[in-house]
Amino acid sequence: MTLRELDLLQGTLDVLVLRALAISPMHGYAVARFIRNGSDGSFKVLDGALYTSLHRMEERGWIESEWGSSDKKKRAKFYRLTSAGRRALRSETQSWNDYVAAVARVMTAPVPEPG
Amino acid sequence: MKSSPPAWYRYLRFWRRDVPGDIDAELRFHFEARIEDLIARGLSPDAARAEAVEEFGDVDAVKRRLREIDERVARGRDRAEWFDGLRKDIVYAARSLRRTPAVSLTIILTLALGLGVNAAMFSLLDVIFLRPPAVVAHPDQLRRMWSEHTSSTGREFYPGYDYASYAALQAATAKQADLALYRSPESSAVSDEETAPTAMVSPVSATYFGVLGIRPELGRFFSAAEDGLDAPAAVVVISDAFWHRHFGGDPQVIGKTLTIGASQYATPALSRYTIIGVAPASFSGVDLDAVDVWRPLASTLPTIANIPWYRNPNINGFQILLRLHPNVPAVELEQRATARLRSADVGPFRLDSLGVAKLGSIIAARGPGNLTSSEQIAARLAGVAIIVLIIACANVINLLLARAVRRQREIAVRLALGISRSRLLRLLVSESLMLSLLAAVAAVLAAWWGGALLRTYLMPDVHWGESPMHWRVFALALGTAVVCGTITGLIPALQSLTPDLTSALKAGAREGVVHRSRLRPTLIVVQAALSVVLLVGAGLFIKSLNDARAKDIGYAVDRLAFVELRNGAADSATRALQSQRLLELQPQIASIPGVEQVTYASLRPLSGYSWVDAYFPEAVTSTKKQPLGIYTAVTPNFFAATGTRILRGRTFSGGAARGGPFEVIVNDAMARALWGNAPALGKCIHFEKADAPCATVIGVAQTAMLTGMREDPSPHFYVSLDHTPFANWGVGSVILRANPARMSSVLATMHTLLRAEFPTVYSRSTTMEQTMEPRYRPWQLGATLFTLFGVLALTVAGIGVYSSVSYAVSQRTHEFGVRAALGATARDVIVHVLGSGLRTVFIGIAVGVGLALAAGRLVASLLYGVKPDDPRALIASAGILLVISTVATLAPAWRASRVDPVEALRAE
Repeated sequence: MTLRELDLLQGTLDVLVLRALAISPMHGYAVARFIRNGSDGSFKVLDGALYTSLHRMEERGWIESEWGSSDKKKRAKFYRLTSAGRRALRSETQSWNDYVAAVARVMTAPVPEPG
Repeated sequence: MKSSPPAWYRYLRFWRRDVPGDIDAELRFHFEARIEDLIARGLSPDAARAEAVEEFGDVDAVKRRLREIDERVARGRDRAEWFDGLRKDIVYAARSLRRTPAVSLTIILTLALGLGVNAAMFSLLDVIFLRPPAVVAHPDQLRRMWSEHTSSTGREFYPGYDYASYAALQAATAKQADLALYRSPESSAVSDEETAPTAMVSPVSATYFGVLGIRPELGRFFSAAEDGLDAPAAVVVISDAFWHRHFGGDPQVIGKTLTIGASQYATPALSRYTIIGVAPASFSGVDLDAVDVWRPLASTLPTIANIPWYRNPNINGFQILLRLHPNVPAVELEQRATARLRSADVGPFRLDSLGVAKLGSIIAARGPGNLTSSEQIAARLAGVAIIVLIIACANVINLLLARAVRRQREIAVRLALGISRSRLLRLLVSESLMLSLLAAVAAVLAAWWGGALLRTYLMPDVHWGESPMHWRVFALALGTAVVCGTITGLIPALQSLTPDLTSALKAGAREGVVHRSRLRPTLIVVQAALSVVLLVGAGLFIKSLNDARAKDIGYAVDRLAFVELRNGAADSATRALQSQRLLELQPQIASIPGVEQVTYASLRPLSGYSWVDAYFPEAVTSTKKQPLGIYTAVTPNFFAATGTRILRGRTFSGGAARGGPFEVIVNDAMARALWGNAPALGKCIHFEKADAPCATVIGVAQTAMLTGMREDPSPHFYVSLDHTPFANWGVGSVILRANPARMSSVLATMHTLLRAEFPTVYSRSTTMEQTMEPRYRPWQLGATLFTLFGVLALTVAGIGVYSSVSYAVSQRTHEFGVRAALGATARDVIVHVLGSGLRTVFIGIAVGVGLALAAGRLVASLLYGVKPDDPRALIASAGILLVISTVATLAPAWRASRVDPVEALRAE
């Protein structure tokens, strides 16, 4: 099975976005590019869902935005983590890791011989 | 590719967040960047665009969703910013007010005074002019009927009608309106005991409550059957307040008996009444004086000389209320009523066949009749209250201005640090708004008891039914506070926003630059001028009061007292016996220590009068227009005892003349009205009928006061109490002339004597001074309140002058140092400062005198014996203000003269 068709849970998308912004403040397209490159095409996020996630997290106070200009000198809206966002990222990362570890334990458990 | 938004777009965003625009811009950037990337990877532009859209999902749905989120965010942010700004302003204002507590307190008190005076005045005017009687249904359809009479001196309006007018109108206007009749309440005892409580009892027609549209709280109101003119039912309706006061709110009160004693003037035909209903809580009659008990018209009114009350045109103290039927214009009803009343020749139309019936508001003070003098004074005082507020505001502006100047450096620093001017303005105004809101709170408290005080002081005879406070009063206090706070804050704030930054920040300018504003002198001029106006008002009313007190009213005001029996339900036989007994008691009463003379009258002076039809065969003038039947029955020593002088002829000869000719003493006004310059002595008067035997005029008395200070000399005559050509009611009042110092002990002894003599009846006494007090009250009131307000204004103006001059002196310390160094003497400096300070005051006085002259005609009608342009009042007021201002200027002037030139110059 591949993750290509996986419907990313909303919370998971939020963690990915926060993770991207933890590197440096960036505009929405840069976040999209980060996720696209990082996943190496193994799963797909609709860009619309990404922007919804950005705006909702801004409402929640995890990130804040500011208009600036891109590398190509175009006006773009840049997002930046707030300290609340940083805390959220930490706890979300932790629970993601716990989840992955749990799944991994189950997946690597020795398969009992049939019989 | 689309170009980026134009530059002005940013300015637009500066004012208002543009949520959809921002989302569009953000997504546009996304698509542009993505398409560019895809093209770089070798896709054709069209394919790249299709791919980008595909990757995005439903663009419109996402935009809608983002817009929802962002608008929520924007709203929250606006709110937070607003509250944050408000909090900051309040904190800042509170801090800067605390820094100068004395100034803040002065400002709050000054404003509270101005606002409180206005709120109190307004609470009174509200009740008099704005509030229709409570719980009345559709007060806009209700009218009160007046009659208008035009004479050479102008138009006059009367509210009084007799019963015949009411009956005629009822028949003529049945299709246009429903009518009711009532009399103003009179105080009556409600039991026979000596300590009987009194109640205000108002006779009303059975239609009264129906026309007003009121439902009883308990029981029922009068039925038509209980309204019989000759045989009224003995039933009463009581007010809610009386129900609680007298019956403790007993739910079983219906059917109980209430005993009502005599009112002051009339013996009731009945005395024991059955209570049939309780009026709703807030209803206490249609006028200001609260009614306790309503009873049918006929139950209170007497038959005099065999004329029943409802046919006696002299019983004319009724007022007509009516409720117009829908779509009936008031004019139509007025015309109909006028025509009917003229043709019936009844009521006020008997004396003036050209009278006109006029409808007025149910609120009596709205006219068209004249206001009572108390109401007029209340209206004028509202103007005075506004003056006090203006003075208070001027002073507050002055204080804030002085503070703003001291803070100029701080403001300059803030401006240099980049605070926006509008934000700074908001800070400064919020400061003064805060002050005035604090003042408003104090003012409402002040108005609460101040209003009650004003009520009892202005209109002590009125039984107030309702609370003085009303939402309109609160709204007014708050509204005025906000207006005053904004104005007093804005003016100094605008002044201080215009400093030259560099000079204000320059080292050495300790208190900012010397700002020679024209504003402060203007404020002093305003305060001085308005103070003069109030002082002139005080002077005029004090003069009026003195003149009124000095007037010879025909009675020895300080030496007279009147004692009367309040004999409840006595019949005429009992009254005749009592009258006889009182006359017999004369020697005993005269022997009370302190009593100088004892005399008797049918009614005590100034409490009303009796009336009889009289005919004057030898009259040289028309007797139609003037009421000529007013009389008092007295004993022979009445004139000597009361101080009313006999100008010509003699007094009655007493018992000796019994059986002889009837004797009459007329007053001077009557003699002139009837016989001009011909001698009055020996003239003949017929009473009751034109062919009755002659009564001969044996004396002419001075024209004593009949009702009030402002009356024209009123024709009036005297007959002998024990020998008159017509029936009279006997002794109504025992008149004592006594030593003023012993008056109270005389009256106490008198009451003891009467109690022993008449054990079942209690007695009442009044002194002449108590009788006159309400008549002096308009001027007493004007004098007190104008003086009070004038002194307040003067104090405030004095402080204003002082602070203004001393500020100017402190600013010019350097200059005075130079002057002193150049050889100016202390005297030179004092004269210089005095001169420059008083110049402003002089302008203020000149303006004030002009204002006082212009405003004079507003109070002219309220003054007594003095013209509003009385030079003494003007000069005295100007003088007082000048003295106060000189004193206020001397202290800073003296300080200026003591400036040490060396120190002043070194300090720079």
